[in-house]
Amino acid sequence: MFGIYLKRELGRRKKAALVIALGLALGIALVITVNSVSAGMTQAQDKVLKSLYGLGTDMTVTKARTAPTSGSSGGPNFKFDAKSSSSSTQSSDRVQTQGGQALKSSLVTKVAAQKGVESAVGALSLNVTKVDGSFTQGKAKSTTGSSSSGSTSSGQGQPGGSNSSSGSGGAPQVQGGGANFNVNSYSVAGVDVAHQGLGPLSTMKISTGKTFTSAQTSAKVAVVSKSYAKQKKYKVGSTFKISGSKFTVIGIATPDSSESDTDVFVPLKVAQTLGDAKNQVTTIYVKATDSKQISTVKKEITANISGTTVTTSADLASTVSGSLSTASSLATSVGKWLSIAVLAAAFLVAALLTSSAVSRRVREFGTLKALGWPSRNVTRQVVGESMVNGLIGGALGIALGVGAAYAVTAISPKLTAQLGSTGGGGGAGGGPGGGGPGQQATQNTLEIALSAPVSLTTIGLAVGLAVTGGLIAGAMGGWRASRMRPADALRSVA
Amino acid sequence: MYRLTGVTKRYTRGKETVEALRGVDLTIEDGDQLVIQGPTGGGKSTLLQMIGGLDRPSEGSVMLDDVDLARVSETKLTRLRAEKIGIIFQSFNLIPTLTAQENVETALVPLGIKPADRRERAAEALRSVGLGERLTHAPSELSGGQQQRVAIARALVKKPKVLLADEPTGNLDEGTRDDIMALLEGLWHEYGLTFIMVTHDSSIARRAPRLATIKAGQITLTEQGDARRYAQQAAGHDAQPQQAAEYGRQQYVQQQYGGGQGY
Repeated sequence: MFGIYLKRELGRRKKAALVIALGLALGIALVITVNSVSAGMTQAQDKVLKSLYGLGTDMTVTKARTAPTSGSSGGPNFKFDAKSSSSSTQSSDRVQTQGGQALKSSLVTKVAAQKGVESAVGALSLNVTKVDGSFTQGKAKSTTGSSSSGSTSSGQGQPGGSNSSSGSGGAPQVQGGGANFNVNSYSVAGVDVAHQGLGPLSTMKISTGKTFTSAQTSAKVAVVSKSYAKQKKYKVGSTFKISGSKFTVIGIATPDSSESDTDVFVPLKVAQTLGDAKNQVTTIYVKATDSKQISTVKKEITANISGTTVTTSADLASTVSGSLSTASSLATSVGKWLSIAVLAAAFLVAALLTSSAVSRRVREFGTLKALGWPSRNVTRQVVGESMVNGLIGGALGIALGVGAAYAVTAISPKLTAQLGSTGGGGGAGGGPGGGGPGQQATQNTLEIALSAPVSLTTIGLAVGLAVTGGLIAGAMGGWRASRMRPADALRSVA
Repeated sequence: MYRLTGVTKRYTRGKETVEALRGVDLTIEDGDQLVIQGPTGGGKSTLLQMIGGLDRPSEGSVMLDDVDLARVSETKLTRLRAEKIGIIFQSFNLIPTLTAQENVETALVPLGIKPADRRERAAEALRSVGLGERLTHAPSELSGGQQQRVAIARALVKKPKVLLADEPTGNLDEGTRDDIMALLEGLWHEYGLTFIMVTHDSSIARRAPRLATIKAGQITLTEQGDARRYAQQAAGHDAQPQQAAEYGRQQYVQQQYGGGQGY
């Protein structure tokens, strides 16, 4: 009787049932969409963080920023001699540690010995700036037409341009000369070949060739990123030079998250030689024994090893800015409150409509009570009808929400994430892909395609909300129905 | 047996208190038929509510056998209504979305009877009021008289001790009214019910063996004759109770189907 009565009553009040179900569906769809987009944001942020950290890395230790010493230029210094012939090309490259600040390699062991640290691996990040081109002498000409040779400063002027010295008529003028050069900058990471599971290479997957063997600590071999290999047309077996040393490409690596800025990976010891940073590392990658104890481990390291900056993924996440950050804030704040508001409104509308429907059925419920139906049976009938409304709303809401989430994933709007820190060599900037040497603020801009994955938890939440909506509406209606007296069956017709 | 003693019912409307019943004393023997009549607002329906356990008096007691309906717990009162009291309403009060058979079944739901038995008993009850071929019809597909028959079947399907009717013919035309009254009177005899009916209709009231007139909440009882004899008179011949009930049914069948059909 319960089922038949319920089905017929819902059939009789299709419009009201549809309004209640649609209201709930809207709220639930919004919750699913916001939840899915938030999950997508979290995934995007994780991608960004992993690109800097690597899988399994819980925190990094870098040298605490110190104020730049007076007189330090910060940037690489190049010296070229101007030649008389423009066809003569020159090349020079400079290798500098990223951020210009490094830690002693011995600290890796010290960090690894800290309580709560499972493993620690050092890495050295280098920036290589290569300048090559032609630097031509200008020619001095006097107003009388005589000319004499002069030299230009390196890198000044354009070919065919003129460097004139101001002066009164008759003084010789330098004409012609200049420079035509290319600047090529790329990043190199020194990898501890014995512990590649932690560190800059852990975010990469070797797509062609192979990675380092533990014996290749001093070998002039390199793994290059796929994008850099494409740009330079490198293949496995290709050779290239860094600061005069010849390297052989042994592997092409693809970043797991497609957001790695390191172009070339070489063994740590080789990188230290290249960067003139013997027994130095720029970043120590740390894995904690318990991922829930990261903040405790951070305190431990900070307290016991002075002069370092410890950056956890939580710290790093706080440095994310750009549209990803804005969208994430929108999803978590505006989206959350909008969902709550729409859900609350839907629950209220459902409760009021159910209550109103009960009021219109005074005679019906009064009659049932007069026939001897206990209040709980009448309440159960009302709650049952509301629950079905709620479940229909839930099903519609899940369909709508999943559809919206699918649309977001299909459109894949691009979001930019800017990771920056104001600590020199520390924080996010201390990792591979950080800013150039001497920068006061280092920043990475990454582009992430947003997806909106719908998890089972989200579906479970939607079903829970549908049931809750039905229960709230049913409870209100049921409460009213249970308070009706059997005499109402007579009174309503009197 | 009913024994009402000093039953008073007050309603509060705003600051005003209205006394619908004022110290009513009344005894109704098992198997009696009592018609309650009186002007609108006189307290007829209120008295019926007290007798049916639909409401409780402000003062006094309403004893049904050894149970005081004024003081028994709500759960027991609900159970008592489900088992012992059948009620017929002026507006039939059928559930519009349920069929005739399902409407009758609603009276058996609180008794915990199995669905298959419920369906069988409901069908039997409908056959007994001449609606054996209307089991699956919705109330909207039935005439007023047929709807009231469904309501009668619903009241009687649980085999109650007491049948209460609140102006059962109030919404029916004259011809149908007579059919329904004949049916009720026949069933009253057949089942040995205590039959208490509120009516405005003086012609019906005049035929009742006992008449209670209520004015301003006070009751006046008139004994009009022997109930059994009255029923026999209603049947139009010197009939026994079973025959009286049969008379009511036959009259209905003749009117609806032109005679010759069973039920």
